[in-house]
Amino acid sequence: MSPPFRRVLVANRGEIAVRIIRACHELGIEAVAVHSEADAGALHVRLADLAVSIGPAAPASSYLRIEALIEAARTSGAEAIHPGYGFLSERAAFARACETAGIVFVGPSAATLEELGDKLRARRVARAAGVPVVPGTLDPAPLEDPGALEALLQEAGRIGWPLLVKAAAGGGGRGMRLIADAGELPEALAAASREAAAAFGDGAVYLERVIRPARHVEVQLLGDAQGTVVALGERDCSIQRRHQKLVEEAPAPGLGVGARRDLHAMAVDVARATGLRSAATAEFLLDADGRAWFLEVNTRLQVEHGVTELVSGLDLVHEQLRIAAGATLSPAVRAAAATATAPDRHAIEVRIGAEDPARDFAPTPGRITRWRPPGGPGVRVDAGVEEGSAVLAAYDSLVAKLMVVAPDRPSAIGRLRRAVDEFEVGGVQTTLPFHRALLRDPAFLAGAVDTGHVEAAWRPAPGREAAARIAALTAALLVAGGAVGVTGADVSRGGWPDGPGPSPWRTEGRREAAERWP
Amino acid sequence: MSGSIDPRAVRVTIEDAEPLVVTVVPPSGPAKKGSPTLVDGRPIGARLEVGEGGRATLHGEGDQRRLTYADLPAGEAGSSWSGVRRFEIVVDGWRFVATVEPAARAALRERARRSAAGTAVHHPGVVRAPIPGRIVAVHVAAGEQVEAGRALVSLEAMKMENAVRAPRPGTISRVAVAAGGTVELGDTLVELA
Repeated sequence: MSPPFRRVLVANRGEIAVRIIRACHELGIEAVAVHSEADAGALHVRLADLAVSIGPAAPASSYLRIEALIEAARTSGAEAIHPGYGFLSERAAFARACETAGIVFVGPSAATLEELGDKLRARRVARAAGVPVVPGTLDPAPLEDPGALEALLQEAGRIGWPLLVKAAAGGGGRGMRLIADAGELPEALAAASREAAAAFGDGAVYLERVIRPARHVEVQLLGDAQGTVVALGERDCSIQRRHQKLVEEAPAPGLGVGARRDLHAMAVDVARATGLRSAATAEFLLDADGRAWFLEVNTRLQVEHGVTELVSGLDLVHEQLRIAAGATLSPAVRAAAATATAPDRHAIEVRIGAEDPARDFAPTPGRITRWRPPGGPGVRVDAGVEEGSAVLAAYDSLVAKLMVVAPDRPSAIGRLRRAVDEFEVGGVQTTLPFHRALLRDPAFLAGAVDTGHVEAAWRPAPGREAAARIAALTAALLVAGGAVGVTGADVSRGGWPDGPGPSPWRTEGRREAAERWP
Repeated sequence: MSGSIDPRAVRVTIEDAEPLVVTVVPPSGPAKKGSPTLVDGRPIGARLEVGEGGRATLHGEGDQRRLTYADLPAGEAGSSWSGVRRFEIVVDGWRFVATVEPAARAALRERARRSAAGTAVHHPGVVRAPIPGRIVAVHVAAGEQVEAGRALVSLEAMKMENAVRAPRPGTISRVAVAAGGTVELGDTLVELA
């Protein structure tokens, strides 16, 4: 089969740029990387066949500049642009600019992006398609008109407190605020709007009811230019903090075939109503009674698309590129869709972020001085970094995705536990200790978690304190116990003259117990 | 162990954890009974097996823990104090920076700092940047009265906007940043009187 394109520009950075460049190479396509000045030495630049510098580090001066990207595609001779996720991936203006320049946009049409990429319009589309929508407002909050605030407060009262302020153009938790009462509303509206305007170039925000407890379940969709749309299975992404996903798995645990079929059908209905082409994801909340509420459609490849690939055996980026070149859904895609309600494998992904799980997942930019990802059967690592890479404060904290696949959920968890234990990172604190603990958490093992679980159950202190004692003892033995590289600071065993006292090992013994969350 | 400081005693300091004083019998010395590793004066059995490529295993009391470590430059503390070493140690995914110095020197330094602290002016009202980032907005001005929890500055890092709030009520005596500026971790944002 001849390659769908000769040369494709990847309008992104980090792990997703690397992942798309790899897919291009697998299909015999040349990949063009773009990069900010700060990213000149990044992994995605090194892997690409060509690289174009598009401006300073700040995203607004580089990765969000439509003209610069179109110009880079022109000068490099790229026939198509893959936008990845985030940045300009859901911007209709970008898709339209590509079209005007005679470049293929690897994604939905500009019209679909406008319809579904705007969460407010997507809510209206879903309601028109007969799909239950999370209660809330259907029009942008009037920020410029102080007189309209009173009416909005009344509307908020009807939706009920607490509620969410969300950005119409948002994603990844940006431009989102949870507010407890009316007093917080004006400040939250302004802050969310500012954040959204900075991140997406669109400051429109709206209100939505908080459904709690809820599971976050989403359906992977793929459509072609002929109007065929299929569902390729769902993912459970309930392990989140601050509305950003930390762990995703496919299929969603505990979902019956009937519930799964209904969910897939609702997702297809919303997508078909807008003539979806390429990959998209319909997100739902499952409430305590198991009812599904439509949340939004992400009209792009998701961060967590890999778990669906591991279960379905498909490569979604390959499919996106073929569809962008005009192909209809492949026989492999149709076959995967036909069996999507009865998957025979289980995949789990954990996001490795440069974040400190002991400090509310605060970003930890810095240089990665050690990078030893795990390997072995059923393990996939999509990374945007390597040893020596800088994790820059200007960008997202995600540095890699660790995924596993196995015949069933328990064996996938066992495999992932092993892989997380093998993963060695130095130089920056990562989310690894969180994942290590989660994979021993009875609630997670039982598949009985909701989107509030991390906030309610994550207790970093016991495990971290025990690890600190071990680190301190190690440091002492490294210095006083002889030169580094010499085996053994050999110490004979002492008695316990004062009876049992605090010892790192005793603490360590308790640690295993403490890691099993309440 | 009488009251005198053992020359083999080192003090290990880890951010957010109590310092440990550890006395270690070097491997070259005779490993006799009665000369154990002492942690804060208590003996424990511990042995560090140092492997290749920055890996090590700590053995003790029937348990063992694999970890990774790396030498770090001694930094500011090392420039004026010989014998100070710093390591990065990663245990169960948790990353620590450990500073190791002779316990005797640490005790001297502590005494010097305590006497200096007695004359220095204390600034409990300095609000510092909790993360490096860009100042999106400054919500207060010098002279303004604020309640505890009031948003002082909005700070954007990794595309998330975070409000930095007043730790206590007070009067703003100084605003050290302006919208559009960038700050490093620990930079002063606002001072409260």
